[in-house]
Amino acid sequence: MINLHFSGEGFVPPSTNDFNLPPIFENIPWLTKPVLLVFLSVIVVSVFFVLSARKAAVVPSKLQFAGEGIYAFVRNDLARDVIGHDFMRFVPYLFTLFTFVLTNNLFGIVPFLQFPAMSHVGFPYVLALFSFFIFHYVGIRKQGLGKYLKDIAFMPGVPKAVYILLTPIEVATFFLVRPLTLSLRLFANMFAGHLLLLVFIMGGDYMVHDSHMIMKIFAPFSFTFGIVLTFFEFMVQCLQAYIFTLLTALYIAGALADEH
Amino acid sequence: MTGTLNLVGFGLSAIGPAIATGMIFAAYINGVARQPEARSVLQPIAFLGFALAEALALFGLVLAFVL
Amino acid sequence: MTRKNEADAYWSIFGYLASGLLFWGGVGYFASRFFDKPYLTLIGLLLGVTGAIYLIWLRFGRQ
Repeated sequence: MINLHFSGEGFVPPSTNDFNLPPIFENIPWLTKPVLLVFLSVIVVSVFFVLSARKAAVVPSKLQFAGEGIYAFVRNDLARDVIGHDFMRFVPYLFTLFTFVLTNNLFGIVPFLQFPAMSHVGFPYVLALFSFFIFHYVGIRKQGLGKYLKDIAFMPGVPKAVYILLTPIEVATFFLVRPLTLSLRLFANMFAGHLLLLVFIMGGDYMVHDSHMIMKIFAPFSFTFGIVLTFFEFMVQCLQAYIFTLLTALYIAGALADEH
Repeated sequence: MTGTLNLVGFGLSAIGPAIATGMIFAAYINGVARQPEARSVLQPIAFLGFALAEALALFGLVLAFVL
Repeated sequence: MTRKNEADAYWSIFGYLASGLLFWGGVGYFASRFFDKPYLTLIGLLLGVTGAIYLIWLRFGRQ
């Protein structure tokens, strides 16, 4: 490795240290802002859907319409279209996953909260672990342990000697790369998005306060771009929640299918 | 500021596969839009082209860490 | 094949390539450390890519 050294002064760019927030109370080390936000998201999701379903009527109120719209989206577009036959078993999990991830992602651009909890890699790991166990469990229940593993490890229609080359790749794909990519995709998108917003907002702030006269002219551009990127982040956050749920549904569908 | 030049090299080497992937899918979408029944013929070709281009990008990523 | 399965296919392709490179590249890397022959890493990586592309062809390339 060849190392590069720059001795910069002045503007300190945001780094990974900006994600290590201190505990809120001195004597409780685990209670940091992301943990608090995760708890808050659970409360927000529960309250929203309880309120929207409580006074259900034939002519829906605005709240009921919104809640039913999200539910119908997950049930029809994700579960029914992907899993097909016998999909209702998985709707509760997929729905919980989608709303939980979406709420936590959206916290990244809500004023005053402004931190996506999923940019701490531990949360996506746990979610991916749930999905991992569910789709393997479903597959083993449906086809039996031996047949399920045989379907994964041995691609049909290949000469015997080639299995030495192919079987490790398939096993690694199913048991290592799938949960890892599932969690790392969500983590990397949230992390990079938050860092991007930090760069533009902190850069604009630095230009206004501490730079020379000429640089101050460019500060509005930095803030404007920060606002534009906030809308872009909104899109990415919705998309990542959708993709996480979609891929979980696809893996479940793949485990349920007779052959892959 | 510290860092490694390997990652700059990986960034440069990822330009090629990125353009390649874009061109592959541009051609694929074009073909399917003009002749939707050709989808089943074009899809394996597009996937294999995507795989080959992606392989180069991942190769660069791995070598950036190994070297 | 619907649009959603197509999205799955892209990530499957990526997954196959990544795990092929990781597994056989890892084997080659440790072999090169063990035997003190640096070219074994490259051979491992090439082997992994070959296997992964073969798998992709088996799954998506055949009609």
